[in-house]
Amino acid sequence: MTPDTCPLPYHDTKPVGAADFYFAINATFRFILGKLGMEGLRRYWADLGARYFAPVTQKWTAGGLPAVATYWRAFFAAEPGAEVEVMEDPESVTLEVKTCPAIKHLREHGREILPCFCQHCYFISETMGVPAGLTVRISGGNGSCRQIFQKRDAVQARQDLSQIKEVTSC
Amino acid sequence: MLGCYDFCGHYEWTFAWMEEQGGHELVREYWDVAIRQDSQRHAVAQIAEEGIEGMKKYWGFTLDHEAAGFAMTATDQVFRIDMHECPSKGFLIQNGLAQYRDYCDHCMGWIGPLMKDAGFVVDHEHNHCGRCWWEIRHKDDPTPPSETGALSGERDVRLRPDWKQAAPPDTYSRATDPDEKTPLAHS
Repeated sequence: MTPDTCPLPYHDTKPVGAADFYFAINATFRFILGKLGMEGLRRYWADLGARYFAPVTQKWTAGGLPAVATYWRAFFAAEPGAEVEVMEDPESVTLEVKTCPAIKHLREHGREILPCFCQHCYFISETMGVPAGLTVRISGGNGSCRQIFQKRDAVQARQDLSQIKEVTSC
Repeated sequence: MLGCYDFCGHYEWTFAWMEEQGGHELVREYWDVAIRQDSQRHAVAQIAEEGIEGMKKYWGFTLDHEAAGFAMTATDQVFRIDMHECPSKGFLIQNGLAQYRDYCDHCMGWIGPLMKDAGFVVDHEHNHCGRCWWEIRHKDDPTPPSETGALSGERDVRLRPDWKQAAPPDTYSRATDPDEKTPLAHS
């Protein structure tokens, strides 16, 4: 896929990423939690969503929920080992994450996974979605989950973080 | 989700974020604690146990995995990498991503302390355009870095017409610390 047609904001010459980078993502979360606490880790995730992923938010703002579906299909196609179904209707986009590629790879290599690892999906995606008028609700985790993207005005209840499971390493 | 496809993008972004939060010292600590001691602990173990043989195995796998354009040269005394197309820096250049002053410092940020603990020192230059070379020798070996072409022949990255840029390369001499370079940019 060329940069002109790819819905991802950043493009590599490889079709999929190198899975060992999940080691560094997990280690980065652990380091920030240890140095800056949970508030600092959530700030990191929110800043990633607002700043690093700003080009994605722009596409979601312009294209609405269809752009959300397009993004996640391309995203998971580039993540090695991901098994994810992206379903869309006029009101929502649902990601059925059957196999989370990060959790899978970290477990296969015996890495200790940060228990709150799965929360990053909520805090990053929520921050990405807010300027586009979207919100996400996540349930499950620990290797498989469901993520539902909807218009903000269609959702009243806040994300219940207890619905996002803690990760066990093995 | 934070993915591995564009890892180098958010990794580089994270350096600048760390510096905002805790200054240069937090960035250094991040490279050492999170990357060397946690993420890359398999490299630490392999090189501590096997020395230059471990370096050949680690970088042979990793750089192939990342689709790098590189050459490895090794003897019993020295391990050399000529990086012709750094996949990591190349990704940043291709996508116009530059939040941190010198992304390339992260390599010495975790490899330097690794080599110090394993008993090695590093001669290294990077030209900020995705090209660099490394020579790693035992700390007791006083041999200076090789002359251009002497160790890796035609594969020596310094022979490339685009090796020399307008700004001089950052140079490390028998170093094990990310700040042991000339010119030093952060201060």
